[in-house]
Amino acid sequence: MTDSKYFTTTKKGEIFELKAELNSDKKEKKKEAVKKVIASMTVGKDVSALFPDVVNCMQTDNLELKKLVYLYLMNYAKSQPDMAIMAVNTFVKDCEDPNPLIRALAVRTMGCIRVDKITEYLCEPLRKCLKDEDPYVRKTAAVCVAKLHDINAQLVEDQGFLDTLKDLISDSNPMVSHCHPPWDVSLSFLFAPLERMDPSICEQVTPRLSHANSAVVLSAVKVLMKFMEMLSKDLDYYGTLLKKLAPPLVTLLSAEPELQYVALRNINLIVQKRPEILKHEMKVFFVKYNDPIYVKLEKLDIMIRLASQANIAQVLAELKEYATEVDVDFVRKAVRAIGRCAIKVEQSAERCVSTLLDLIQTKVNYVVQEAIVVIKDIFRKYPNKYESVIATLCENLDSLDEPEARAAMIWIVGEYAERIDNADELLESFLEGFHDESTQVQLQLLTAIVKLFLKKPTETQELVQQVLSLATQDSDNPDLRDRGYIYWRLLSTDPVAAKEVVLAEKPLISEETDLIEPTLLDELICYIGTLASVYHKPPSAFVEGGRGVVHKSLPPRTASNESTESPETAPAGAPPGEQPDVIPAQGDLLGDLLNLDLGPPVSGPPLATSSVQMGAVDLLGGGLDSLIGGTNFVAPPTASVPANLGAPIGSGLSDLFDLTSGVGTLSGSYVAPRAVWLPAMKAKGLEISGTFTRQVGSISMDLQLTNKALQVMTDFAIQFNRNSFSLAPTAPLQVHAPLSPNQTVEISLPLSTVGSVMKMEPLNNLQVAVKNNIDVFYFSTLYPLHILFVEDGKMDRQMFLATWKDIPNENEAQFQIRDCPLNAEAASSKLQSSNIFTIAKRNVEGQDMLYQSLKLTNGIWVLAELRIQPGNPSCTVRLSLKCRAPEVSQHVYQAYETILKN
Amino acid sequence: MISQFFILSSKGDPLIYKDFRGDSGGRDVAELFYRKLTGLPGDESPVVMHHEGRHFIHIRHSGLYLVVTTSENVSPFGLLELLSRLSTLLGDYCGSLGEGTISRNVALVYELLDEVLDYGYVQTTSTEMLRNFIQTEAVVSKPFSLFDLSSVGLFGAETQQSKVAPSSAASRPVLSSRSDQSQKNEVFLDVVERLSVLLASNGSLLKVDVQGEIRLKSFLPSGSEMRIGLTEEFCVGKSELRGYGPGIRVDEVSFHSSVNLDEFESHRILRLQPPQGELTVMRYQLSDDLPSPLPFRLFPSVQWDRGSGRLQVYLKLRCDLPLKSQALNVRLHLPLPRGVISLSQELSSPEQKAELAEGALRWDLPRVQGGSQLSGLFQMDVPRTPGPPSHGLSTSAPPLGLGPASLSFELPRHTCSGLQVRFLRLSFRPCGNANPHKWVRHLSHSDAYVIRI
Repeated sequence: MTDSKYFTTTKKGEIFELKAELNSDKKEKKKEAVKKVIASMTVGKDVSALFPDVVNCMQTDNLELKKLVYLYLMNYAKSQPDMAIMAVNTFVKDCEDPNPLIRALAVRTMGCIRVDKITEYLCEPLRKCLKDEDPYVRKTAAVCVAKLHDINAQLVEDQGFLDTLKDLISDSNPMVSHCHPPWDVSLSFLFAPLERMDPSICEQVTPRLSHANSAVVLSAVKVLMKFMEMLSKDLDYYGTLLKKLAPPLVTLLSAEPELQYVALRNINLIVQKRPEILKHEMKVFFVKYNDPIYVKLEKLDIMIRLASQANIAQVLAELKEYATEVDVDFVRKAVRAIGRCAIKVEQSAERCVSTLLDLIQTKVNYVVQEAIVVIKDIFRKYPNKYESVIATLCENLDSLDEPEARAAMIWIVGEYAERIDNADELLESFLEGFHDESTQVQLQLLTAIVKLFLKKPTETQELVQQVLSLATQDSDNPDLRDRGYIYWRLLSTDPVAAKEVVLAEKPLISEETDLIEPTLLDELICYIGTLASVYHKPPSAFVEGGRGVVHKSLPPRTASNESTESPETAPAGAPPGEQPDVIPAQGDLLGDLLNLDLGPPVSGPPLATSSVQMGAVDLLGGGLDSLIGGTNFVAPPTASVPANLGAPIGSGLSDLFDLTSGVGTLSGSYVAPRAVWLPAMKAKGLEISGTFTRQVGSISMDLQLTNKALQVMTDFAIQFNRNSFSLAPTAPLQVHAPLSPNQTVEISLPLSTVGSVMKMEPLNNLQVAVKNNIDVFYFSTLYPLHILFVEDGKMDRQMFLATWKDIPNENEAQFQIRDCPLNAEAASSKLQSSNIFTIAKRNVEGQDMLYQSLKLTNGIWVLAELRIQPGNPSCTVRLSLKCRAPEVSQHVYQAYETILKN
Repeated sequence: MISQFFILSSKGDPLIYKDFRGDSGGRDVAELFYRKLTGLPGDESPVVMHHEGRHFIHIRHSGLYLVVTTSENVSPFGLLELLSRLSTLLGDYCGSLGEGTISRNVALVYELLDEVLDYGYVQTTSTEMLRNFIQTEAVVSKPFSLFDLSSVGLFGAETQQSKVAPSSAASRPVLSSRSDQSQKNEVFLDVVERLSVLLASNGSLLKVDVQGEIRLKSFLPSGSEMRIGLTEEFCVGKSELRGYGPGIRVDEVSFHSSVNLDEFESHRILRLQPPQGELTVMRYQLSDDLPSPLPFRLFPSVQWDRGSGRLQVYLKLRCDLPLKSQALNVRLHLPLPRGVISLSQELSSPEQKAELAEGALRWDLPRVQGGSQLSGLFQMDVPRTPGPPSHGLSTSAPPLGLGPASLSFELPRHTCSGLQVRFLRLSFRPCGNANPHKWVRHLSHSDAYVIRI
């Protein structure tokens, strides 16, 4: 006999007993039995076998018993449809019962039994109940229509139930017309005026800020947040609204922890959008000792976001206290928070560092480790300022057992190797257990030792050899191997370049590390008071099927006083023809911008041809010997090296370039087909057509000269007028042989961007003079802007976020690119080959959003958000561009269009 | 729109399970919820959770999990409010909310749920309205049992003054059984204040706030009018002035929507016709300016010998309540550094008790009289932290992990704001014999009373 059989028998016994009780004559006993059945049902026992017996109890005039039976039916009818049919007659009969409670009960239950067969029987009673004299029955019937609609929408329409429902909306009894009042708080009546930007809504909404129901309060907050988006910050009214928002938010924090948490998640969004609302309320976010941990962590996060010079002392004192509490998770977060304060509020950095040092002195393992991790960040934000603490950090080297802390410490040692006497010993000590370390630590160790070597080459050759061979030969981690090879090749070919690359100045880390992307934040603000605001994700990310999801965004900011300083910047998206015709002389706003960052030419050494071998040749000049002395540098073993080791030495470097600047630059930017620039008629028989190319960092003008005259042409020369982006030829126009009639010659003219600047109209206009033995001819042409997109135009993610936020909204320009059937992948790779780099990709409600950056030769950054809707039949791609020099947007958009469509 | 509602016991067993729309996963969902909840990493919040297109929102109440699931981007505030309203409703109908009462009243709970929510839409949550529909009677536990500790609730608890209502008096269902005519007409009115205080190690007050509420539990027939008179010097906001003294001042006050405030401005009288059951008549809060001195001051002194690991903590607790008042169930909780094992103690009076529990020192003082001062000297051994030994051997800098101290206590017959109920008048005249019983009680208790060391 098996176990299962054993169990069945017992169950049978129990069910048998219940069966007997259900069929008892005594009402009380029946009632008790049904209650028992329901209790068993709740704990998950299968009591479906009792279906007929329970249904038998239905025929009773005892309301309580009837309700119990209905309860049972609702649960099992679905799994026992045939049985449920047995009960239908009773349902129909009950719908006519003199007792309204029973009528409502029957109609409600029938709706819940999701069995198709029942729906046929349902319609007639339902129709009657919708017109019942009792409001309770009418209300229940109305909900039943909704249930039926979900089962069979067609049926509902055919039967005309929708019209009956419409009648009910104007029902005289509020119970019916308004059947779920307080919970369905949508404040929807308020949104109509909002769309009309009607200030009167504020008067309607503000009283709701002190409503007892927090759902109402949050809805009101949301409406006001949206409204403020349209207000200028200079208005007094703006300030008044700010003041009104704080108290209700604070009040929410005195609720139960669950509500508090949800409120805090919302406040976190609000604080990121408008920190000024709560800037004086720091105290309410102080952590209470008995707060649940999730409330504590959320409060901590908000404290940091509110931290400013004014309150930093208070915040730090709190954080220091938190760092000594018991809960490990919380303590760690508190220590991190101190680091974030240091990075956010410069004036406090010193105090933060000394607080962290105090904490390190406690020698509590996890505190020390967290402290070291954040001190690393502080070093990156304020280089060469707090290095005096390195000695203290080094004392704690041995106690670090978490990868993140070890990696941070190794980074510090490598970065400041020249100031740490025994840096080599320290790093060597890590090297012993190299293969037991996590990848993070291994990578960091590799880099740190290379740094050390570049700083102290004489003493550390052995060490660097050791780490390189550990990384490349003994490791099966591709990341580590690749990085090892890169360093190895770099060091063996060109230590000077290696130094430039490895010891390059690092970008400072941005202020806030975990800001929500601005566009997402704006969207989330629209979802305040919903689940989206708790998850900090747009609803499309978690609502299945996207049912009823409408993409929301904040209303566009109206032009306020702050944006009118320069009339020139305003019409960013306007077609160039509408711009004033007068071109200001050099030195105007744009000229200034264009002159920015003219430093070293990014395009690399000018070369007439473009082949893979170029680029590195010149860089290899000298320096190798001076650095390494006489040492033989062993090249990495050929066997395991990627194939292109055999290629000229330079390829190693261009490989490296490739890795840092993204893939595909070698193939070069998109090249437009040649166009006729100078027709023969205008130039006494000389026809010039051409196009612009950009390959591996060098721009050239590819010209085709055709002699359509009857005489030979000689003595060619070319000159450019000053132009917006300082384009100038770097070599003379060399036509080697005289050009005979009907002969055509093709020339590639290398260009640089170090000429002088003059703003042209349109911006990308280039005026060219060509001379030959016959005459001088002038023509002008428009060059596509993407030839100016440089190879290192990939912005750091954080930087991107910060910059996007920083550039005022007036500088944003929106465009549409029609008939572009590309998907995100294809678009991204197409754009990348023209040096438009995708930094992040996100899917929002079925649309792919690409966040991209590009940099012009004069250092102007352009940030882009490309929205692609794969399923969209019109194949329209939406592009929004942000740039500090909005004049370029139009041309960048044209470049986008050209690249994407070809 | 709500897909499911369920109640789980503290161990995760389903007590109640109701699927409103039949659109999601069935009853495994309850198990899934519990698994997800218990498997959650420490720094994530369990309040709102997400799993494959389904959202769980729950509150914990009396050791039970009340959970709703939904698949739409709804307002979590609305759902949380609904859950807490449901917990009150269940309390009203079943007597009190607890594992026992729920499992005894499964049928009643389902009946209630059917009326409150239909197809996942909220219909009504008013106790009064629901009375019309509910048929099942509550099964009440035995009147009073020492073991039934969960019933020692807010209303009529042990801390009652001279006239003590039996502690189970308030924990019975509002719906009297129709047959039982001996049902007592009773009204319980509580002024309860929660006090949170944060004191710096130098004794300076960093933060204080008081959350107060006036709660009413009425067993009178619905609609019988009553008037509650509050202290006449009761002022709302910083600027209002009343009476000649400093007044009883609160920052903000809100009332239940059924409260009639006609006489509030002139006489500080609240008029209402409460439905049967529990009701929060008024909520108020007050921060920073407390009219009376803080009930407790703690003067700690710590000696720590890093070398030997000997930690000596001397705590002096002064109670600044008026001489006639007393604090009950005072417990001081002091987290200790990791690994502390031994504890030796010298306490100033015999009724106190101190012990180590879960890495903390717990000092229990069952009764502390106003104006008195108590002290305790505790010695512990802290295992040495790894690393080089510190130079200064004996130091008063506390080791990591010590503190902050937190106090929990109850202050019967005391409100920190000073607010009192002057009178409670009923216009209800019972047809029968007995006059209704009125129980008015004032109580303050600690929410978070934290003293940094």
